[in-house]
Amino acid sequence: MKTNVLFIISLIVLAASFDTINQLLLKNSINSLSSNINSIKKVIVFIGKLLLIPQVWIGFFFCCLSLAVWLFVLSKADLNFAFCADSMHYIFIALASRFILKEKVGLWRWVGTASIIVGIILLTISNR
Amino acid sequence: MIKNRVTLKILLFLVVSDFLETFSQFFFKKTAIPASGLDVKNIPDALIFLNTVFFSPYLWIAFLLVFLTFVLWSTILSKIDLSVAVPIASFSYILVPLVSIIFLHEKVSALDWTGIIFILSGVIFVSISSHKDGAATQ
Repeated sequence: MKTNVLFIISLIVLAASFDTINQLLLKNSINSLSSNINSIKKVIVFIGKLLLIPQVWIGFFFCCLSLAVWLFVLSKADLNFAFCADSMHYIFIALASRFILKEKVGLWRWVGTASIIVGIILLTISNR
Repeated sequence: MIKNRVTLKILLFLVVSDFLETFSQFFFKKTAIPASGLDVKNIPDALIFLNTVFFSPYLWIAFLLVFLTFVLWSTILSKIDLSVAVPIASFSYILVPLVSIIFLHEKVSALDWTGIIFILSGVIFVSISSHKDGAATQ
């Protein structure tokens, strides 16, 4: 690999963080709406209401940022490395769920998170 | 109620969504290849980069595949729980390296595969833990 792998990893961290912010904003917006959807008409009304929430558009902006960074990563790194390293967004979502949404994160989730970290470290060493 | 009955139809949907996701990543990579020589150090560089990728037809194929994955995934999640769907869907962590080897001629070493196995088991643990932990608290 031509470009420094730690530089690539930090860009993947950036892309995954932007994506996590998008997910949090979207989840927060959806939580604020009624979830009683049982017909096509209600789906359309639901989407319409969602599009009126400014948070959703801020989320969309972060989604675009994440995509731009992701494409830049792919222009410099191998796909198999970048895709697997991107699994770190599971870690960010677990951390954000625990500390921002105050959800309960169980022991097995932390075990899984640790396993993902070990995997990313091995890939990083291997692609150095 | 935990929806965990994986029927043959759902399994087929999951496999198709795995392939769609894998190929959307493949087309994102194809989008990025012509920009691999570009160095982005300032805003004008970034605009040149964005201009290069935005007009790539591969980007729009990738968007289409992402949209199809989203539709299929919504259908899947209306039938089974996320904690059941994600472990089966994480098959893409094997599929993407395979596609990278076959179509992009990338090298995947034994150490890479070891890392991939750790990531794969991590993703499975993270997703199935939600209903295990739920069951433990009842």
